[in-house]
Amino acid sequence: MPDVKPAMRVIYIPILLLFAAFLFLPLGMLFVRSFETADGINLSNYLTVLSNAELMKSFENSVKISGLTAVITTVLAFFLAYSIHCTRLYRPLKSVIKTGILIPMLLPTITFGFAIIYSFGNQGIITKIFGRNLFDIYGFNGLLIGYVIYTLPSAFLLINNSFKYMDKKFIIVSKLMGDGTIRSFLNTIIRPLSGTLGGAFVLSFILSFTDFGIPASVGGTYSVVATQLYQVMLGSIPDFNNGAVIAILMLIPVVFSVFLLNYLEKLNFHYDKFSDIELTQHKGRDICFGSISLLVLIGMFSVFAVMFIAPFLTSFPYDLSFTLKHFIDTFQSSDLTAVYKNSLFVALMTAVLGTFIAFSSAVLNVRTPLKGKSSMDVISMLTNTVPGMVLGLSYLLLFNGSSWKGTFAIIILCNMVHFFTTPYLMAKNSLSKMNPAWEITGILLGDSWIRTIYRVILPNSASTVIEMFSYYFINSMVTISGIIFLVTAQTTLVASKIKELQHFAKFNEIFILSLLIFFTNLIVKLLCDHYQKRQFKH
Amino acid sequence: MSKTLKIALLSLVALSLVFVLVGRNSGKADEEKVVIYTNGDEEATAAMETSLKDAGYEGKYVLQSLGTSELGGKLLAEGDEIEADVVTMSSYFIESAQEQHSMFKDLSFSTKALEKKPAYYTPILANTGSIFVNTEVLKQKGLPMPTSIKDLTKPEYKGFVSIPNILDSSTGWLLVQALISQYGDAEGKKVLHDLITNSGPHLESSGSGPINKVQAGEVAAGFGLRYQAVMAKESGLPIKFVDPVEGNFSYTESVAVVNKDNEAKTSLAMKMAETISKDAREELLKHYPVALYEGEKVTEKNKPAHPKKYKQPLTVELLKQHQEFFKSAQ
Repeated sequence: MPDVKPAMRVIYIPILLLFAAFLFLPLGMLFVRSFETADGINLSNYLTVLSNAELMKSFENSVKISGLTAVITTVLAFFLAYSIHCTRLYRPLKSVIKTGILIPMLLPTITFGFAIIYSFGNQGIITKIFGRNLFDIYGFNGLLIGYVIYTLPSAFLLINNSFKYMDKKFIIVSKLMGDGTIRSFLNTIIRPLSGTLGGAFVLSFILSFTDFGIPASVGGTYSVVATQLYQVMLGSIPDFNNGAVIAILMLIPVVFSVFLLNYLEKLNFHYDKFSDIELTQHKGRDICFGSISLLVLIGMFSVFAVMFIAPFLTSFPYDLSFTLKHFIDTFQSSDLTAVYKNSLFVALMTAVLGTFIAFSSAVLNVRTPLKGKSSMDVISMLTNTVPGMVLGLSYLLLFNGSSWKGTFAIIILCNMVHFFTTPYLMAKNSLSKMNPAWEITGILLGDSWIRTIYRVILPNSASTVIEMFSYYFINSMVTISGIIFLVTAQTTLVASKIKELQHFAKFNEIFILSLLIFFTNLIVKLLCDHYQKRQFKH
Repeated sequence: MSKTLKIALLSLVALSLVFVLVGRNSGKADEEKVVIYTNGDEEATAAMETSLKDAGYEGKYVLQSLGTSELGGKLLAEGDEIEADVVTMSSYFIESAQEQHSMFKDLSFSTKALEKKPAYYTPILANTGSIFVNTEVLKQKGLPMPTSIKDLTKPEYKGFVSIPNILDSSTGWLLVQALISQYGDAEGKKVLHDLITNSGPHLESSGSGPINKVQAGEVAAGFGLRYQAVMAKESGLPIKFVDPVEGNFSYTESVAVVNKDNEAKTSLAMKMAETISKDAREELLKHYPVALYEGEKVTEKNKPAHPKKYKQPLTVELLKQHQEFFKSAQ
């Protein structure tokens, strides 16, 4: 590793300052505000909130529904991952499952709710097909469907990844040793995966606990913490101090979950080596898992189908003739195109700056001997913990009244900090695998440290950088919880515009905007994947 | 200075430049645009936008729709720090915000309003409450035609009534005003309680919720805005409006201009407010048929049978009292 160079400090200090100003300071402010009252600092805000029966009920509701979501999601995600790794399903079908399940990631969660309403509601497609309402969608049922669809991709990615690093030879060994089906399954699949399954559960729990988009659209009268927080902050009688208290209380289960996640990490098995093996023939198993996976996928697609159909019909569900009128109207409306441009701008800026910051942080931590470099890990832990809504709220409290209010910069910074963890870990992971002597070699050959980073390290991590970019871009495009407190009339983004359109029940516009986000994300994702593959070929 | 340091510093400067660009320019690039906050529903917003576009203001304003409670919250919390330059909102909210923050500028143009109003706002539309029924459903279920709100509390209406919630909707307030005026606090509370019980899951957060449910045939009767029932009837639906004996209460929504330091922008905002209050009226009157200005006429069917005004002036304080009243009746 090279000696400490001034250049390292020149990068290190601004990054640290950035996080001080946009992570530690706002959160500190949030903490202080939660104790602030008309007569000084005391606990009365907490007492008010804790004695509010409605609020406590919403906490209970949130915990209950997030817990149930987490159980269902983990089971389903496991089924899907198992079908891919432990069955001899037709290969193309496996890739359909693998790609198809990720589609919800390209859409804002608030869209899920509307898709559910138009599928299962009184006038919904699925209701029409069945000829009657299957169940009441507003409230618990709608939330549950929405949360499961929302959390399934993340849980699947996690479990799928662990399956990759599992030695499937043990399945055969267990069979040969005479284990029964159940015993073999428990010992060779569930035991090694227990840490990951726990992780998937906790992850799904946190995601649904902190999401705002889904309850904002199908929550009905079933109140959850996220909608309560929104009402306290932006409702008819705004109370910023009580809002701060709710935000702090919202942090508690999340902090607890993160600790749990770290603990579960220890349960993970590490195989010395893993080999590709031919799985045994078993028609029954394949058909069973294949059809369950397909059912999950079809169920998911049928919810989203309406989004691709309704905007093309004159007046769904009454007049089903084909028309492009809604699209033409939307694109002609300067209002909606401006909102789309705003979103695109924010996503691009977030992706460029965010990738730069996350990559620099990882370089500093992994490839320099700087003192205090591990503070980057602390930061990434913290950004992983703080829910978007809490972060957005803390920005609102800190920057309200300053000239930062109502700027794009504040939204971009919020996104950069909110989504920092994953890209940072991606970069850290890839950088730590590179030869540690490259910088020394570079210096011996007469290149400065910065030049080596630029000419050697960066090209070698190109694939990771592209992945980081795509992660930042897509997430900034779809997030609503992070930015809902920060947008203003002039900085409206697509996701928050959808919330506004909800007021008028303008579903066509909602779906068209969602489609715009969807296709933008799809293009970015495909492009990034394409460049990533090209990188690997070189 | 070493070369490394130079490069690092350069990139730093570049980075901060980007930040400055992003923060100051793009965020405020539209600074010259007038921001209009409105709680108006679709028809009202469309009418305002048409008038602004016809007056050549396209691209010079941003119109942001908010729920009444959201916009109310912003007005009371932010005062003249609010992003908006022009606000259209329920008049009682504008009055309360003015009282708290003195945030509105006196209008520089004059209007011939029928009723006395302060100098800082002028009404753009008025809403009147009434009962409406779906005659088909009424027949199907063998229910009697109601004549009063109290009729809807009869046990046979259980599950067939829809009403708006005063906690979210100003239309819901019209209902509560009618009940308190007619029956007083004690009996009014009982009537309201029975009414809420009868509505069950059809207690709507949006003012147009009940008419939608009545139109869809999910309930037989509802309380909401009178003009919506008139329009539904005109379009051939089996809807009938009934002016309740408790009275047709109304509230107005008005336009006001926020007093800001930026002279040029405020004067442009003033012009837009004038356009909204004058040019948009013709179309607004079609959707909200209540005469507000001299010379305006509405057709007979749009004249409610029992127009009434609440005994006290409408204020946010009164709204809060009535919200508490509603909660205690639940």
